[in-house]
Amino acid sequence: MKVKPVNHAKAAEEFLEDAPHLTFHDERLWDMRQKRDQQMHLLPEWQDLRTRASEIKEHTLANLPEYLEQFEANAKKNGIHVHWAADGAEHNRIVGEILEKHGAKSLIKSKSMVTEECDMRAYLEPRGVTVTETDLGERIQQLDDQLPSHIVVPAVHKLVPDVAKIFAKNYHTDPNDNDPQSLAEAQRMAARPVILTADAGMTGGNFLVAETGTFVVCTNEGNADLSSTVPNLHIATLGIERLVPRMADLGVFVRLLSRSALGSPITQYTTHFRGPQKGGEMHIVLVDNGRSTRLGMEEFWTSLKCIRCGACMNTCPVYRRSGGLSYGAVYSGPIGAIIDPTFNERKYSTLPFASTMNGSCTNVCPVKINIHEQLYKWRRVLAEHHELPFVKREIMHMAGKLMGQPKLYRTAINGTEVALSTMPRFVLYNWLNPWGKHRELPHPVKQTFHSWYKQNRLKKDKAQ
Amino acid sequence: MKIGLFIPCYIDAFYPNAGIATLELLEKLGQDVEYPMDQTCCGQPMANSGCNSDAAAAEALFVRNFAKYDAIVMPSGSCTHHVRDNFDAIPQTEDVKHVRKNTYELVEFLHDILKVDAFPWAEFPHKVGLHNSCGTLRALRTASMSELGEPFFSKPMDLLSKVKGITFATPKRPDECCGFGGTFSVTEEAISARMGLDKVRDHHNAGAEYIVSADTSCMMHQQGCAERNGVPIRFIHIAEILNGARA
Amino acid sequence: MSSRDTILATLRANRPDPAAHPLPPVAMLGDMDKGRDRFENSLQILGGQILMPQEGDTLATAIARRFPDAKVICSAVPDFEGTIRIEEIESPQQAAATDVLVVRSPFGIAEMGSIYLSEAQLNNLNSAAHLTQHIVVILSEENLTANMHTAYLERPEFHTANYGVLMSGPSATADIQGVLIRGAQGVRSLSIWWE
Repeated sequence: MKVKPVNHAKAAEEFLEDAPHLTFHDERLWDMRQKRDQQMHLLPEWQDLRTRASEIKEHTLANLPEYLEQFEANAKKNGIHVHWAADGAEHNRIVGEILEKHGAKSLIKSKSMVTEECDMRAYLEPRGVTVTETDLGERIQQLDDQLPSHIVVPAVHKLVPDVAKIFAKNYHTDPNDNDPQSLAEAQRMAARPVILTADAGMTGGNFLVAETGTFVVCTNEGNADLSSTVPNLHIATLGIERLVPRMADLGVFVRLLSRSALGSPITQYTTHFRGPQKGGEMHIVLVDNGRSTRLGMEEFWTSLKCIRCGACMNTCPVYRRSGGLSYGAVYSGPIGAIIDPTFNERKYSTLPFASTMNGSCTNVCPVKINIHEQLYKWRRVLAEHHELPFVKREIMHMAGKLMGQPKLYRTAINGTEVALSTMPRFVLYNWLNPWGKHRELPHPVKQTFHSWYKQNRLKKDKAQ
Repeated sequence: MKIGLFIPCYIDAFYPNAGIATLELLEKLGQDVEYPMDQTCCGQPMANSGCNSDAAAAEALFVRNFAKYDAIVMPSGSCTHHVRDNFDAIPQTEDVKHVRKNTYELVEFLHDILKVDAFPWAEFPHKVGLHNSCGTLRALRTASMSELGEPFFSKPMDLLSKVKGITFATPKRPDECCGFGGTFSVTEEAISARMGLDKVRDHHNAGAEYIVSADTSCMMHQQGCAERNGVPIRFIHIAEILNGARA
Repeated sequence: MSSRDTILATLRANRPDPAAHPLPPVAMLGDMDKGRDRFENSLQILGGQILMPQEGDTLATAIARRFPDAKVICSAVPDFEGTIRIEEIESPQQAAATDVLVVRSPFGIAEMGSIYLSEAQLNNLNSAAHLTQHIVVILSEENLTANMHTAYLERPEFHTANYGVLMSGPSATADIQGVLIRGAQGVRSLSIWWE
């Protein structure tokens, strides 16, 4: 059965219809972009940091096998169990086996986009493991059975009453409680006993340090530190591309990450795990899931530099007005549009077109991924692989031919101005003409430039 | 210097005044300008849709028409960006390389090549909001970009500042995309229209009577949004102001 | 062939040319001010507080004044009494009853207002630092390093500790309609006591 491409345009249109949600979403994320700018203005070395970050990541990716081996050797020396998962299914199996070996039935976890990629909860829950998301945004989304809509602020598309309703249903709080403080407190109170009785804890991770076998987790709520230190079993999932060569390189990335993501200088918690705690056991699962293939794509490998800050989403005018869920993928927004087609080319073939290619994303990316240029390149790849809608392909084909034939082109153009000035409104603005759904058409003109030039200038020119 | 004038398809069909103003302006500045009659399109719509091979015929025709000129000037940032940076559906002959290297957007041509320092015939006693298309801004770098925190510069504003009587209004989000995006305006029509509406409201709320831009494609889209929603703002191409239009 | 081998082999086959991507030298950038004022400004931006001594204050009296309702005050430092010592706490579940935890941090980072804690400061009970409602951190001005670059280069703890957390103010979230909440799931407040 052929997978259907995500209909971003339709989902976006529905998102737009809800004015209060749209307005909040757009303004909140624009505000995060402004805060990022404020941080940038405070650091004269900002562009220098971006360049360093990009260079460190490109070097690391070009030497990834060696750095992974170095990381593994050091991590093992420190007592960390290192596992390798070729894909999401293998990741889930590995995690399932670790939990089973320990008789672990309850798992608390902090945010990890990779576990979403692997759809881990859907694997573990039928096998008798209760998985509780402890990150507030992720928990809201878990309770609402939705994917996170943004990689840093997972429930940014929701307003307070939405959260109140979800908490009322699950935590038996007051459905009319419109105080975020009170709702956050409800989450704290509900999570604490679950954390204290959990059999195992799981985290994601932001960076792997080859030099020392360390992995680093950057969070704000404290839930990752609770999830990893309260139970005696800590499993961490990270994509293989998260490596940096030296401990000292973390300075560059930690200084860029939270400033780019939220406009705050650093996350409230920056935790460095180098080995298990006393009496504890620590596992790390290194996940490939298409990354090693993507490394070989000449135009797209640099997307592996991504440190998952979300700055591209915050600045993207399309993302802010369509909401992350409209992309139908774990990764949305500009970065999603360039990596998702590697997960499923057909399903995500529409995402590179959910863009005006304005280039703002490229400018805010702390590791200088040329996102808007990769969007352009993806369009070519998708056209070559026949992943464009039939109608569009045919129109482009016909337009292309027409543009090569000046006489034919002139005839068609002349038709347009006549049509615009004589057709009744209902014909021009019907459902076949999407331009006219929310916009007026351009005004008809008496004379094209071509015609004006012929009349007013041509006699002065030499013969064409 | 012999200049070949390229007038993009949508200016030819919907905004010929911008083309006429471009031509007249260059003539006023003493330039030798010709408009090849057999021109059609630069190939950008096809290329931007990923259908690069469908852009080949247009690109080849473009080169045939313009190879003989020392400079090719066009009142469109996105077309200029396409020719200079993406024109690869055809073999890269010497003619193609020459055309790509010598293609200029109007503002950059006036500012960087002709280095015009006065427009004595121009007067525009109105408050304007300057809109830089993303193509001219980020691809051609005709002005500083807010994301980079760089010192302010703006070639279009430098030129417009020389116009008697003109004043500027600054919107809240000066370089947020207006949502035209080529075929995006049709394939993602709802988002596109919303972005356009937000843009024109932003300029209107800042006090602008006119939105002026070097890109008619953006303006065509913004005008459509403004008119449908009753936002009372008018639109004019930068060439028209620099050429002496009073309104 | 194990997944490990497959992954490494695929990476080796696909990787871009390493010669085209040299490793840049270690970065040493940014403001090098490691003063107390800079630390305090940064701390306050991230929601941390200073526990200000009044006339004749000891740490004990300052804590009693700041946290009048605290019943369980756990000390992880030899020079402060508290109501219980961290050595007496045997499990995270027991640590969860703590109202105030008093620790000594080996260093702070002026750029970020961050303090560092590892298992060495927590008697191997890492969770104590996060289960407590409030944390008071004893810090010396001499142990301030300027910024993230200097911290990673100068401090040996990053190479020796199994668990090392930089805490920058109290726990926080803005996940509900963008409203900033201090005291999410970790500590509700973080206060610095200068020594």
